[in-house]
Amino acid sequence: MKLFTVFMYLCIYVFVTLFPVQKYANSKHLRSIVGGLFMNYEIKDCIDAGTEYCPCSLAETGDCILCSHLQGKDFCDCTNWKGVCIFQEYDWNNNKAKTLRKVSLSKIINKEILDENLVCLTILCTHKLVLELSIPGSFIFVRNPKSNGYFDSPISIMETLPEENLVKIVIELKGVKTKSINLLEENDNMAIKGPYWNGVLGLKNINKCKDGISLLIAGGIGMAPMIPVMRKLYASGNKIVVVIDKSNYKDIYIKKYLELCNADIIECTLLANGDLSSEAKKIIKQYENKVNLIYCSVTDILISKILEFSDDNVNFACCNNAKMCCGEGVCGACSIRYAGHIVKKMCKVQIDPRYIFKGRRLL
Amino acid sequence: MKVIVIGGGWAGCAASIAAHNAGADVELFEKTDMLLGLGNVGGIMRNNGRFTATEEISALGAGELIKIIDKNSRHKNVDFPGHKHASLYDVNKIEPDIHNYIKSLGISINLIKRVIDIKKHENIIDGIYLSDGTYVSGDVFIETTGSTGPMGNCLRYGNGCSMCILRCPSFGPRVSISSRAGVDDLQGERDDGELGAFSGSCKLSKDTLSDDIVRELDEKGVVVLKIPEEDINMDKLKLKVCQQYALKEFAENVVLLDTGHAKLMTTFYPLQKLRKIPGLEKAKFIDPYAGGKGNSIRYLSVAPRADDMKVQGIDNLFCAGEKGGLFVGHTEA
Repeated sequence: MKLFTVFMYLCIYVFVTLFPVQKYANSKHLRSIVGGLFMNYEIKDCIDAGTEYCPCSLAETGDCILCSHLQGKDFCDCTNWKGVCIFQEYDWNNNKAKTLRKVSLSKIINKEILDENLVCLTILCTHKLVLELSIPGSFIFVRNPKSNGYFDSPISIMETLPEENLVKIVIELKGVKTKSINLLEENDNMAIKGPYWNGVLGLKNINKCKDGISLLIAGGIGMAPMIPVMRKLYASGNKIVVVIDKSNYKDIYIKKYLELCNADIIECTLLANGDLSSEAKKIIKQYENKVNLIYCSVTDILISKILEFSDDNVNFACCNNAKMCCGEGVCGACSIRYAGHIVKKMCKVQIDPRYIFKGRRLL
Repeated sequence: MKVIVIGGGWAGCAASIAAHNAGADVELFEKTDMLLGLGNVGGIMRNNGRFTATEEISALGAGELIKIIDKNSRHKNVDFPGHKHASLYDVNKIEPDIHNYIKSLGISINLIKRVIDIKKHENIIDGIYLSDGTYVSGDVFIETTGSTGPMGNCLRYGNGCSMCILRCPSFGPRVSISSRAGVDDLQGERDDGELGAFSGSCKLSKDTLSDDIVRELDEKGVVVLKIPEEDINMDKLKLKVCQQYALKEFAENVVLLDTGHAKLMTTFYPLQKLRKIPGLEKAKFIDPYAGGKGNSIRYLSVAPRADDMKVQGIDNLFCAGEKGGLFVGHTEA
C-alpha cells in the first residue's frame, strides 16, 4: 500500500513538472519518462565541416552552422567540435570560403529502363569524385546540360564502381526536372555537381552498428538510396533484414543488391489509410528490441509514423527528404523552421532523425 | 549529495578531494586523457609568498596534494630572478601520482569526457551534457575548466594554435560552463587593451641542450643565459599572464628552470633565434609543440564570483582555479 502511494506521488510529480514542457505528452512519452527520466540533447553537426569545402560561403557572412567566431561572436563556444577548427581554416584561406563544388559534364555510359517512369543511369566520373561518393548518404545534383541551374535535381548514389570510375543512380520521373534529364540518352553528357553527403540522417547511428541485426525499411524510389547504407551495415558484420514496399513498381528492382547482402526480405505495404499498416507495425514490434538500428528510406509521413510508433531506445537513421536546390545552405529550399526561431538547413545539418519533426513549425 | 567537477586540472583535483572529504559523492570530468591540465607543464611551487600559502593550505588540513608535489620536487630552495626559495616539481612524474591518489579515495574520474552544455531550470543547474549527448545529473557543480584557448580564441587574440598540452584538436575544445549557464564571463586585458594574455612559459627538451647546461640544470635547477643584444624584446613582457615573471631580467635573459624538461620562462621564442644562444644550438620545443610561434591565450572566460567561489547568477555552480580569477598559479589553484 505504501509503495502504491509513493508511486502515485511520483506520477503526480512527473505530471506537474513535465507536462507543461512536453509538446505532445502521449502515453508513450510518459512511459519513457517514468521509466528512466532520460534526457535528450540534440547534437547538430554540419556534414561539410572539416572537408575540402569548409569553410563555405556561410562563413563569409557570419552564418556558419558550427563556429561561434564565424557567427559574429567574439569568443569560442565550441559545443560542436568536429575535429577541425573552422575559424583557423578560414584564416588560412585568407578569410574566404573555399572553392565551391564544380559542375562537370559526365558521360552516360548506360541507361536502363527499369519500369515505367523509373530509369537507372550509369555515369562516368573522375576517380576522385567516385571515391568521394562512396559513403552512405552521398548524392549529386544532376541536370540536362541544356537546362538552367535551377533544374538541379538531388539524386542519391545507389552504387559506385571505383575501379571503373562509374556511379549508378536511379531516377523516378515525376515532373519537369526529372523528365528533362530523361531526354538524355546513352553517350550524352549530363551536368553533375558534387560530392554532397547529407543524404542520410543519423549517420552516427549507422557507423556504430557492428555484428548485430539491422532492420531496413524501404519503399518505392527509396530502395535505391538504401543500398549504400545496407552494404555498409553488411560490411560491418550485421545481419540484414529488409522490409520492402514495391509501391507502384512491378518488381523489386534492387534484387541483386539484396542477394549480395544476404538480406532477409519481407514484402509488405507500409501505408494504409494514412497510417502505418498493421503488417508494418507487427514487423517493427517484432524486431525493434532485437536490432541495433532501424533505417527508413521512405516518405516523411512514414518516417514520422515509424519514429512515433517504435520504442524510444531504438537507434534510427533515415533518408533526408528535404527539398534541395543548391546544396550549399544558401538558397533556402531545404530550410526547415523549428520552435525557438531555429532554422535548420537540411542540406548541411546532420542530426538524429528524432529531431526532424520535434518542434517543427509547419506554418 | 552529488558533486560534479568539470575540468581535471589542479583546481579540479583539489576541489574533488575537498568535496569528497566533506562527504559528497564526487564525479570528475576531464576532456583529455590525463589529469592536471596545465599542471603537466607547470612546476613552480613555493616561490615567494606561495611558500606561506602552501604552509597555510597544509595547516588548514588540505595538504594531501602538497605532500605529493613535495615528494616529486626535483629541486628545493631555488632562487631565480625575482623569486626565492622555489620548489620545482617533476612534470613528467607528477600526474600518475596525483591520479592514483585521487582514484584511491574512491572519486570517480571520467577521462576523455568533454562537457559541452548544461540543463538548468531557473537558476539551478540540473545536470551536464557530454559531447556525445550523454546527460549526467548532479546537485552541486564546480567548474574548473580554466580559461585557456580554445583554438579560435588563440587565433583571434594570439598567434594561433601552438599545439599546447590542452590538445584541443585531439580532445575537443573546452567549453565555458558558466557561459552556457547564461552568465557573462569576464576577460582579462593586456597592457595595450587587447583581451586575454599569453601563457608565460614553454619547455625545451633537455635532450636537445648542451651537456653543460643540462649539468647545471640538474645540479642547481636554474640556468640564466644572456640573449643576444639584437633579440632583446621588452614588449614581450606585456603579453604574458604571470606578471610576477614579467621582470626585466626575463626579457634580457633566457631563464631556464629544471622541471624534468627545461622550462623556458618566456611566452614563446622563435626557434632559429633561440638557437643562436650558446648551448641551445640544437634546442627543440616539447611544449607547446609550436613554442617557437606562440603560446595559448588565457583569461578569456573568467567567471564572476563572490569570495565563497560561487558563480554569480547560478545557485549551485562554483568555480575554482583560473576559472575563478586571474594570476593563478598551482598553489592558488
